[in-house]
Formats: sequence, structure tokens, C-alpha cells
Amino acid sequence: MTLNRHLFAAAQARVVGALLVALALHAAGTLLIPGYSSPFALRAMLVIASILAVASVGQTLVIILGGIDLSIPFVIGFANVVAAKLFGDGWNFGVVCAVVAIAALLIGGFNGYISRAVGIHPLIVTLGTGMTVQGAVLLWTAGFPSGSAPQAVSDFVSIGGSIGPIPVPLVVPSVAVMTVVIVLVLALTPYGRRLYAMGSNPQAAALALIKPVQMWVITYALSALFAAMAGVLLLGFTGSAYGEVGQPYLFQTIAAVVIGGTVLVGGIGGYLGTIAGVLVLSEINTVLIGLGLSASSIQAVLGVVIVALVSFYGRERHVREMI
Amino acid sequence: MRASDSSLATLWQRTSFGGVLLLVLLIANIFLNPPRFVFTNWGTLIGLAAPLIGAAIASTPAILAGRGGLDLSVGPLMGFVNAIVIKVLFLDNGIASPFVIVPVALITGLVVGCINGFLAAVLRIQPIVATLGTFLVLTGVTLTILPAPLGPAPDWLKSLAGPLSIVPLAAIFLIWAAVKRLPIFGQLMAVGSDDRAAFTAGVPVTQVRFFAYAFGGMLSGIAGLMLTSLIGSADPNIGPTFTLTAIAAVALGGVSLAGGRGSITGATTGALVIFLLQSVLTTFNVSTHLLQLANGAILVTAVVLTALQDRLQRGGAR
Repeated sequence: MTLNRHLFAAAQARVVGALLVALALHAAGTLLIPGYSSPFALRAMLVIASILAVASVGQTLVIILGGIDLSIPFVIGFANVVAAKLFGDGWNFGVVCAVVAIAALLIGGFNGYISRAVGIHPLIVTLGTGMTVQGAVLLWTAGFPSGSAPQAVSDFVSIGGSIGPIPVPLVVPSVAVMTVVIVLVLALTPYGRRLYAMGSNPQAAALALIKPVQMWVITYALSALFAAMAGVLLLGFTGSAYGEVGQPYLFQTIAAVVIGGTVLVGGIGGYLGTIAGVLVLSEINTVLIGLGLSASSIQAVLGVVIVALVSFYGRERHVREMI
Repeated sequence: MRASDSSLATLWQRTSFGGVLLLVLLIANIFLNPPRFVFTNWGTLIGLAAPLIGAAIASTPAILAGRGGLDLSVGPLMGFVNAIVIKVLFLDNGIASPFVIVPVALITGLVVGCINGFLAAVLRIQPIVATLGTFLVLTGVTLTILPAPLGPAPDWLKSLAGPLSIVPLAAIFLIWAAVKRLPIFGQLMAVGSDDRAAFTAGVPVTQVRFFAYAFGGMLSGIAGLMLTSLIGSADPNIGPTFTLTAIAAVALGGVSLAGGRGSITGATTGALVIFLLQSVLTTFNVSTHLLQLANGAILVTAVVLTALQDRLQRGGAR
């Protein structure tokens, strides 16, 4: 019990730590870069962070479960291209979303089923399905995606958008509500309890009548669903479809989850941490762009920052403490 | 009769599914595309396959070390070595001697490997995060030194992708064979299977894991040279693409991602399977899109079948 409480306190401390880092970065940005805290810059940052937050939901759940999902970028690209094409072909957008969601759930469910029931490392399974999905999309569109986004989605994520007097597009408060819902689901529902139980000790969880395969299928299906959502939001954001649009999200989702204190071995962490991680990543990116660094230098600095942050609070225990 | 039955059974048990797949693919390739697979052309063929084989072998030690051991930085490190060798040594400083280029490649790999080892084994940052960090840094630094592809490469280096392509591969195999004779290799396998038991038995777990990353880094240096000889130039964008394919190859070759189980033969088999598969699909003249789809689908299928065969065998052994 004390151990549990200790771990809980440590996880909370990591979330607070990550949030403080985000605040410090924001302060640094405001001091160093003129216009950093201007309403337009803030809005842009919030919208980009919101989309990353949606894409990272699945990675958070899957990592708490003790897995990892490398198919997220490919599912994002899949949803992005398929939604644009079907909508461009004159389908009703509601039907388009339903089709994309069902396909995503199937892809994710397949990932979870193969990883757990056959016992193959999810890294390989999700990578393989991801490549297959991307290949299928490329084949279908012959490499030239077409179509467009419905105006409603574009407005939903538009940087210039506002809700009445509040100067942010609808996506920002929606993600805030989504965050509350996810945190509550993880804390209060049987699903949340089972997720943490599976992540901290799969054998014990199975003895407690939690069905491992069912949990993996549901969680990976959810991961793909949120990835597909991010893909549709990105379609609205950029206005046109692009199969590779998800690629930056492979490492960014993992980085956001880890910076937020969720541990890759499973069972520890939460979505609030991921939100903190998303804010840290968005702030770093914006600061570095604002300082005039090239894309390649930003990448290098990002690598150093991720490692430095995690070395502060994300270290594993020594073997001698695990015996 | 009985004896031949059981020897057939052991043969089946010893041959991984990957091995069978490799044989089938090789025959299919020779049958479908005789001019490409004619014996005199094998130097070039091996040169084509070499960078992936090198990358797969370089990914193996970290995975063998267990507890989530993984080296994502293999691909970018190959690209970084490629950029250092061609841009910094050959083009900027006019150094073409193999006696400088080879040691520099090895040492560059070793140094990055030691950084990975320090982060993952000593600081105990989760390997996937630690090597993701080096992945990003190396990709960024490579693009900074070498914003766009440049050429050419020294002639001796290019010949290592042609008639002499077996030389760097043989070097990797020899180094591996030598390391396998050292006590630390046994310790590595022990740490990978059960680090707690190994620690209790007095194995210096941290040092052994550090060694795994350093060794993998040095092998990546050689893989980087193979890549350089194949493309005969410096290209900042090719290296990073090797990371995930190499991990897929390693898994296909029966190296357990949980650690402690696997071999250099497995990693090589996996890499060859992926190479031959791409080669078969290319002969059918299919689009690159179908190529990618088939790649992913066959990867999943092959890994599933390998796991099922493994399970059947263990069931049979019981």
C-alpha cells in the first residue's frame, strides 16, 4: 500500500514537473521572442497541441497497458486520405466518419488481438499493420490523394476560429472536455482499473478474471480510433489530404507520453501527464522555431531535451532494487 | 526409418520458419529472375543486401540485452557515418585512405554506441526513449553537416558493394564470432533472459548492457560503411529508414524482443528474407505501393507463423 502510494505520488510529481517545464519554456519564449505570447501565436500553439493531444490518447492507453503502438502515424494518414477521398466523392460526411471509424477499430483490434493472443511483440505487429495500411492507401489513391475537407471540420480546427467572444476554435475546449472524460474513465470505471491492473501485472490481472485478450483488443482499437480522429482533424487543419501527414506523430506521441511520466513498462501514468508532455513538446517546438533554428537543428535539440527530461524523472530502477 | 523420422523432426525444429521462407524465396528469385541471380552477379547482390543485414545484426545486441532493450539509433547512425566518411573526410579533407576511413567509421559507431549505453544502461532511461533521443540528434546533426546528397565515394569503398561485397560482411561475422567466445557474451544472454537471476549470480548487469549498446554501435559503423559503398555517395535521408526495417528483420529471424534469445544467423536470415521478398516483388514489376503493402502483410504473416511454430514446438516438447 505504501509502495502504491509512493508510486502514485511520484507519478503526480512527474505531471507537475512536466507542467512546470512547459511554463518555464513559455516564460523563456515570451522573454526571448517578440510576439511569442501574442493571441495569434497562442492560438496556433493551442490548436497544434490539441491535435497532438488527440493523437496521443491511444499511445497513453496502450503504454499503460504495457504495449506500444507504432501504427498511429499510418492510421492517421489512412484516415486523412480516406476521409478526404470519400467526402470528395460526394459521400455524406457522417457516413464517411462512420466508415473511417469502423475501419480504424478493426485495424486496432487486429493489432491488439495478434499481439496478445499470438504473443508477438506489439512493436512488430503494429509496425507491420501500419506498413500494410499505408501500402493499401497508396495503392488505392495511386500516391495522389484527392478530395477535400468539409467546411465544418476546417472551422473546428481553424487557427483564426473563435467561439462567440472566446478567441479559440472549438477544438481547444473539446480537447479539454475530452481530457476530463478520459481522466475520469481511467480513474473511475472498471475499464480504467483493468487497464492499470493489466499494465502492472498481467499474470495477476488474469487471475483476477480480467480477460487479457479482450483488454488488448479494446485498448488498441481505441488507440486506432483516436489516431483516425487526429487524421480527420489534420485534414481540416491543412485543407487537403496527404498520406504522410501522420509521420511526425510516431515519435511525438511516444515522447509526449514519456515526458508526462507514463512508464513504458506499463501500469503507471495517466493522460494528464500526456497533456503536460504535449504542452512541453509544443512549447519547445515553438521556441526553437521562434529562435530561427532550422528544422534539422530543432530535431537534434528535441532529442537532447527528451533524454534530459526523462533522465530527471523517468529513470528505471536498478536491478538490485527489483529482486 | 525411425531414425530418419526423428532427424527430420529435429531438422524441422532447428530450422526456423524464417529459414524455410528464405529458401523458398531464394529459389523463387533464381527461377523468376535468372540474369539477376546468376552466380557471377552474387557480388553485386550481396552488396545490395549488405546494409540491411548489417543494420539487423547491429540491432541485435541491444535486443538480446532484454528488459525492453532496443536500439532505434542504428539507422541514423549509419547515415551519420555515411556523412562523416564522405562529406567530412573525403570531400572536405581529401582523405581517401581505408586506413583512416575504416577506423573513423568504427570509432564513430563505438562512441555513439557508448552514449546509448550510458543513457540506457547507466542512467537507466528506457531504451526506446534513450535511443529515440540519439535517433533525433543524429538525424538532425547529419542533416546539418549534409543538407543534400553529395558524391562521389572513393573507388575502393565502391568496390566493397561489388565484387568484394563479402568482405565487410565477413568482417562483421568474424567480429561476432570472436565476441561470442568472450565470457561477456554468455553474460549478455543471461542478463537478457533473466536480469535478476543474472544479477544475483554476480553478473555485472549494468556493464553487460552498456557493452551491448557499445558493440551494436560499432557494428552500425560497419553497416554505415556498407551503406556508403552501396550508394557510392553521401545521402542524409537514407540512413534513418533502416531502423524499423532492421527491427522487423531481427524479429522475423527469431530474435526475441523480450531478450536473451536469438543469434546472428537469425538476424541475417530475417534481413535476407526481407531483401529477397522485395526482389521477388520487383521482378513482378509491381508498383512501389503494392510493394509496401506486401511488405507489411508478409511481415505480420511471417512473424505470426514463426510464433505459432514456436508454440507448437514447445507444446510438442512438453
